[in-house]
Amino acid sequence: MSQVKRIVIAAVCAALCIVLPMAFHSIPNAGATWLPMHIPVMISGLVAGPVAGAVTGVLGPVLSSLLTGMPAAPMVAPMTCELLTYGLVAGLLAKFVRTGNVTVDLYVSLVGAMLAGRVVNGVLRALIFSPGAYSLEAWVAASFVTSLVGIVLQLAVVVPIVVSLERAGLVPPRYPEKDA
Amino acid sequence: MRGVAGYVWADSPLHRASAAAKLAGLVACVALVVLATTPLELAVAAGGVAALVALSRVGWRAAARAAWGLRWFLLMVLALNALLFSDVDPIFSLGPAHLTCEGLAQGVRIVVRTLLVIVLGTLLTATTRPQELVEGVRRLLRPLGRIGLPTEAAALAVGVTVQFVPTLLRESRQLMRAQEIRCGNVATLGIMRRAVSYIRLLVPIFVSAVRRADELSVAMEARGYRLSSPRASADGKERKLRP
Repeated sequence: MSQVKRIVIAAVCAALCIVLPMAFHSIPNAGATWLPMHIPVMISGLVAGPVAGAVTGVLGPVLSSLLTGMPAAPMVAPMTCELLTYGLVAGLLAKFVRTGNVTVDLYVSLVGAMLAGRVVNGVLRALIFSPGAYSLEAWVAASFVTSLVGIVLQLAVVVPIVVSLERAGLVPPRYPEKDA
Repeated sequence: MRGVAGYVWADSPLHRASAAAKLAGLVACVALVVLATTPLELAVAAGGVAALVALSRVGWRAAARAAWGLRWFLLMVLALNALLFSDVDPIFSLGPAHLTCEGLAQGVRIVVRTLLVIVLGTLLTATTRPQELVEGVRRLLRPLGRIGLPTEAAALAVGVTVQFVPTLLRESRQLMRAQEIRCGNVATLGIMRRAVSYIRLLVPIFVSAVRRADELSVAMEARGYRLSSPRASADGKERKLRP
């Protein structure tokens, strides 16, 4: 995949980071529960690599905040760091995890990214963004309880979307020799 | 689902201003709005934003479109703050929820700030063409290029993102309408069924978006676009495309 295409895919996924939350905002507390902004970032990392994933992770929340006011300004910095980690780790794991099975590769990369992003978010909040006011219980509640629906949604849709993109011929297959 | 306004044709000082200046101004205005806390400061900020809308000649309806799309979310933010922010001297209480003047004031503060930021963002996209925006980002990031940061890629990514938001909103709306024709009005469904109906749209939305990205990148490369080479700018100063 060319560098231009990687950047364009990252940008289109960042645009989806702005568009998808608008749809979900008609549902109460959808941002924290359904995590609609996470999905394009993960997909960008998985299909276009770690740099594209990181670019989507930065552009998505920053431009969404500037253009739509969501996320609110104080949330932008921690959310950007979290999403950057999701995109970066998803891309790195997708690059290096090669089990021979596309679905297993993608799920390992996805779950690894989900865990890494939450750990980075917790550490940054505890040390930088909310020092002294952020507890382990608050981290567990925000990362795994409130967002449980979002986690299930990501596990249910991200891998099928990436596989659909491969089957549609829009991104290069992970194992071209198997398809040949 | 309503969206961020696209470019609105008009002749105004904001339309004529350089994209770099507008971008820098947007960041400064957003910072001022976020820092405004007292009612007087928020009123001054609201007056300033209203003056910018009038100056831009894009129309109040176009400027408020994105904010109107988030009306239920903003109402919920107001209600949550009014009921849960404080429990001191409540006007009335119901279980853990206490309606207080302090909570109400906090909710109004957050909603007003959010509305002002949304309108400022809408003004930027309504008065700046995507190409000008890319050029503006490129110009603002130019100093960072001297320390080796890929400013060309960053400018391209920002420009494509802003350009694609109205397009993807339009396509999402079309997919939602198609779904409504098949399954009935989504807005009348319960929360879970409404969410499930949105989830069903994710695969076609992503396939359509990546197809557009694929077509755009092929077209750009076919016209000689390379991230490393200088290219035509909006003001026509650089026109050195790789042959």
